[in-house]
Amino acid sequence: MAEGIHLTPIGDGNVLLEPGEGLDPSDPDALVAPVLEFLQNNQAQRLVYDLKTVRLIDAVYYTWLTKLSATCRIANVEMVTVNMQPAAAYALSLTLDKPTPFTCALDIHSLR
Amino acid sequence: MAKETPQEKSTNQILIEQLMQNVGKISTIIEKEGQSIFGHKNLLSNNEINDYSLEFLELLTMLLHAGEKVDRRGAEFKALRQFFANFSQQIQVRGGNMDEFVRYVHFLQRVFLENLEADKSVSFEKTREILMLLGVIFNDIILDVFHIYLEGKEKTILAQQEELRQTSTPITEIWDGVLTLPIIGSLDSSRTMIVMEKLLQRIESDRARVVVIDVTGVMAIDSQVSHHLIQMIRATGLMGATAILTGIRPEIARALTSLNIDLSSVTTRSKLSEGLKEAFRQLHIEVSRPVK
Repeated sequence: MAEGIHLTPIGDGNVLLEPGEGLDPSDPDALVAPVLEFLQNNQAQRLVYDLKTVRLIDAVYYTWLTKLSATCRIANVEMVTVNMQPAAAYALSLTLDKPTPFTCALDIHSLR
Repeated sequence: MAKETPQEKSTNQILIEQLMQNVGKISTIIEKEGQSIFGHKNLLSNNEINDYSLEFLELLTMLLHAGEKVDRRGAEFKALRQFFANFSQQIQVRGGNMDEFVRYVHFLQRVFLENLEADKSVSFEKTREILMLLGVIFNDIILDVFHIYLEGKEKTILAQQEELRQTSTPITEIWDGVLTLPIIGSLDSSRTMIVMEKLLQRIESDRARVVVIDVTGVMAIDSQVSHHLIQMIRATGLMGATAILTGIRPEIARALTSLNIDLSSVTTRSKLSEGLKEAFRQLHIEVSRPVK
């Protein structure tokens, strides 16, 4: 698996992605392929991206999220972000001019 | 044998002598004026007025004794200024105004000048110097008092603004997972920032799933306010909660249309109660009357 990405199947076709310290969002192309491979191997229907440890979502990080979401869509996997921090949500809302291409949920428990 | 010429007294010495000779008279006049200014509104008791008068004369004597010239950085002058600072703060706390205090300080200055007029042995030159000396002392005191008064006012205004901010954006959890945010007045950038910060924190801490934003109290809307509203709704969505906008009055709706603001992606309801029903619907909550 790519450095800084931890993937765990959590049941019902869900896979949890927890970004770690070593994640480099500036090169999304190198990261999406191994993630997609893992999702397909586990027959995932939904990728749950945990943003609990992400303090700020800047343009680089947002590009990585949108590319990952686009790749998931091609593979018929829904991407949902959870636990976005208030400060990150606030900063991101200032830069967005259209809705995000992925779904946002409060936490894992609120996913249906 | 050379005739000794008596050394001319300094301005400080003249003032000290005047004070020493007329201390009883001066303090009585000051106390009487103090009572007429501060006594009628019960700002100070007679004892307090007498204590302040004596302390002032004591500190002024110490300042005049400290050197030939008044040292504005000296400890004696600082003590005198501090005395007036505390004095004016006390008057302010008890509901007095600055006019009364400045009138009192002017009166203190006038007492010395009247004494000086009565003393025919003081030359014109010396009178002028004393006048300038008193001007320096009392002008600095009045400036200090003015700054204290302004600081007090600024603190009050800031406290009122903060209180107004807190009370004008009461975020309430009206049901498990449902927050309401009534917006009253206008939304400028700084207020949006505060409201959004509080709202996002509440979503996180209360694990809120739905936020009902009620704009019944918004009197006017422009492109900036609508932009801030959309920003708030978007930030709520990013946190994983749904925003429902309620209370859009006809004139606001008309303004939004003429501003080409697209609210098609936003869930809207006419009234707060309708918004609450929508929130319940989204959370699959059913509220029913108990069967009798």
